[in-house]
Amino acid sequence: MNVRKLWLLVAALVMGGLLAMGADKIKAGFIYVGPIGDYGWTHAHDVARRIVDEQYDWLETVYIESVPEGEVETYIDQLVRQGCNVIFTTSFGFIDGTFAAAQRYPNVIFAHASGFKRAPNMATYMADFYQVYYLNGLMAGALTKTGKIGYVGAFPIPELKRHISAFTIGVREVNPTAEVHVRWIYEWYNPAAAKEATEALIAEGCDVFAFTEDSPTVIQVAAERGLASFAHYSPMYAFAPDYVVSGQLVHWEVIYDDFLVKVHEGVYTNKNLTHVDYWWLLAQKAAELGAEIGMPVNPQYVAPLQGYVIDHPTFGRISVYDLVFVRYNQMADPGITFDPFEGPVYDRKGNLVVPAGMWMSYDHLITMEWAADGVVGPWPGEP
Amino acid sequence: MKRIGPLIVERRLAPPRHVVFGVSVLAVVVALLLAALVFWAYGVSPWRAYAEIGRGTLGTVGGLSDIVRRAIPLILCGVGLTLAFRAQFWNIGAEGQLLAGAVAASGVALFLRVPDVLRLPLVFLAGFGAGAVWAVIPALLRVKLQVNEVISTLMMNYIMAYIVEWLVHGPWKGPTMRGFAYTDMFPVAARLPLIAGTRVHWPTLAVGVAAALVVGLILSRTRLGYEVRVVGQSPDAARYAGISFTTVLALTMVVSGGLAALAGVGEVAGIHWRLRSPSHISMGYGYTAIIVAWLARGSPVAAILTALLFGLIFAAGDLMKSTLGLPFQITGVFNGLILFSLISSDLLMYWRIRWGKKGEAWT
Repeated sequence: MNVRKLWLLVAALVMGGLLAMGADKIKAGFIYVGPIGDYGWTHAHDVARRIVDEQYDWLETVYIESVPEGEVETYIDQLVRQGCNVIFTTSFGFIDGTFAAAQRYPNVIFAHASGFKRAPNMATYMADFYQVYYLNGLMAGALTKTGKIGYVGAFPIPELKRHISAFTIGVREVNPTAEVHVRWIYEWYNPAAAKEATEALIAEGCDVFAFTEDSPTVIQVAAERGLASFAHYSPMYAFAPDYVVSGQLVHWEVIYDDFLVKVHEGVYTNKNLTHVDYWWLLAQKAAELGAEIGMPVNPQYVAPLQGYVIDHPTFGRISVYDLVFVRYNQMADPGITFDPFEGPVYDRKGNLVVPAGMWMSYDHLITMEWAADGVVGPWPGEP
Repeated sequence: MKRIGPLIVERRLAPPRHVVFGVSVLAVVVALLLAALVFWAYGVSPWRAYAEIGRGTLGTVGGLSDIVRRAIPLILCGVGLTLAFRAQFWNIGAEGQLLAGAVAASGVALFLRVPDVLRLPLVFLAGFGAGAVWAVIPALLRVKLQVNEVISTLMMNYIMAYIVEWLVHGPWKGPTMRGFAYTDMFPVAARLPLIAGTRVHWPTLAVGVAAALVVGLILSRTRLGYEVRVVGQSPDAARYAGISFTTVLALTMVVSGGLAALAGVGEVAGIHWRLRSPSHISMGYGYTAIIVAWLARGSPVAAILTALLFGLIFAAGDLMKSTLGLPFQITGVFNGLILFSLISSDLLMYWRIRWGKKGEAWT
C-alpha cells in the first residue's frame, strides 16, 4: 500500500466518522402541560431543558407549552414532522397520547413523566419529593407552637397523599401530638384559592405551612402574619427571607442529562426502553432539600432548630437540626439506610399499613391512598 | 342619521349579504395585519409566520383534518345556539350542556351493561338527553320565575364543571389509573370510529352537519320554526297569536342543549375515550360557539362555515406554538385580535357612510 492510498483510507475513515457523528445529533422535543412561567412543574422542566441544551453541542431542543391533555398527539405529530428523534411529555394526562404516538412512530424515542405505560421506544421517569417532605416535616414539627401545621394541597392524588403522609411522619417523629391540617384547592395553579385556604388554616390555629401549588402564595400569606412556611418546587426563599424555613427543589436536568447521554451513546435505543423507569430521589440528586439552591435550611432558623432537642428512640438526645442532617445523609448516600415509610407505620384509622422493619415497594408508593396518623381533614379516596 | 362635514353616517336596517360577507372578510384581514405587527415585534417575520400557518393548516391533510376536528364541537354547539338565539333566549350554557353530554356518555360507556351494538347509540341518546335536561332547567326558570337566563345558564356551567371534577376524583375514578383523576378508558365498543389516518370522529361530524340542515329547515319552513321566530321577535305578539311561550322555549332548549351535549359525546367518545378534568375535555368550545353562532347571524347552515373558521384559528394557534416557537400568550393575542375585529366590524355593517348631498337636512 503506498502512502497515497493510506491517506485516502484515513480521509475516508475521518469522513465516515464525521457522517456518523452527524447522524448522532439529537433533536429533543419537550411537551409541557402548563406555561413555562408557572413557577412550578413546567418551569422546572424548562429550566432543566435549558441546562442540558447548553451542555451538549450534539443536542438541540425545542418545546411547546400549555398543551391541553387531549391534544398531545397533534403536537407530537408536529414535533416529529420537525425532525425530533426524542420526545419528552411531561404530564400524567399525556399518557395515552404518548403511548399511541410511540406505536405510530417506532423510530422515535419517547419518555413520559410520572406515568406507568412503557414500550420498546417509550420510557417513564419521575423525580419524587417524599423524602424531602419528611425532612421538612421534622423541622415543621419543631417550629409549631400551636401544634397545628397547615397544608394546602392541589389534588388528592397518590403523589400528594404520599408527600403529606411523609411530611406528617416527620412532624410526629419530633412532636408526637402535632397535627397536619389539610385543605384541597383542586388546581395546580390558583393563587386566589391558595390564599383562601391558607387564611382558613390560620383561622383554625395553624402556625407553620407547607403546600403543593405552583405559586409562592402560601408563603406570602403566612409571612404577612409572621408565620413560617416551606417552599415548594422552585426556589422561593426570596419571597419571604425571614419566614421560609426550607423546602423542596427539583433537578429534572439530572434525569434529562442521563437519558439523553445514554441515547447519544447508543445505550438507549428505540428497542430497549420497556424496563427503563426512572424513580429518582435524593440519592440521585433529582431532589434537593431547601428553598434556595445550596441552602438546605434558612440560617435564621438554625438556632431555633438546634434549640429543640428531643429524646430519639434511635439517636438518643439530639437536636432537630442535627436529626435533619443525620436523616438526610441516610437517604442521600447511595447506600440508602433509611426511608420515611419504614415500618411499623399505621394509617390514621389505626390500620397497620407497613409492617415493622419493612419499606414500601415502589408500586405501593405510587399508588398510596391512606393518610398517616396525624393528618386532619378531608381525604378523598381514603381506604 | 348624522352629518360630519360633507359625510353622512346613516343606519342600515338590514345589511345586504354581500356587505356582511365583505365587511367580515375585511375584519379578518385587518386582524391579520395587526397580528403581523405582533409577530414582527416578537422577531418572527410575518411572511414566514403566515406561510408556515398556511402550509401547516390548509396545505396538508393532517392540517385540514385538524381544522375539521376542532370544528366538530363548534358546529354542534353553534347550531344549537343559533336556534336559541333566534328565540331570543340567551343560552350562555353550551359549555355546561356539553359537559353534561360528556358525563352521560361516559356513564353509559363505562357502566351500563348492554350488548356492544347498542352501546354507541345509547351513548349518543344518553348524552343528548342529559344536555336537554340541563338546558331545559333555565328555560323553565325563565318562564315560571322570570329568572334571567344569561345568569342561570352561565352559573349552571360551573355546577356541571364541578360535577365532572367530583366524578373523576370520586366515584368514577378509574381503578387502572393509579389514583390519578381520570376514569378508566372506554371499551372499544363505545369509541367512535375515526376517518383513517386522522382524529376526525366522523359520526359526530355527520350528525352536526345534518343538525345544521334540519334546524335550518325547521326555522324557515315549519310552523315550529315560525313560532320560535315570533317568540324571539315579540313575546306579546306570540301570546296574542296563541303560541305557547313555555312549549316553544322548552323545545328550543331541548334541541339547543341536546346538540351541545352531542359535542361533549364526540369529545369523550371520539378523542379522549374517558372522562377527565373539564378544562381538558372542552377547552371552552361552549363559549367559542357563542361567537360562532353570533357570526353566523342566526343561520344554522352558516354556523358550519363560522365553526370551520374557528377550527382554522385554533389550528393556526397550535402551529404558532409548535412550528414558530411563539409563547402561548401570542396565540391568545392572535385569536383575540381576530375576534375583536370581527365583533367590532358589526358597527360597519349596520352603519354606512356616504357623501352628503348639498343642502341635505340634519335629522
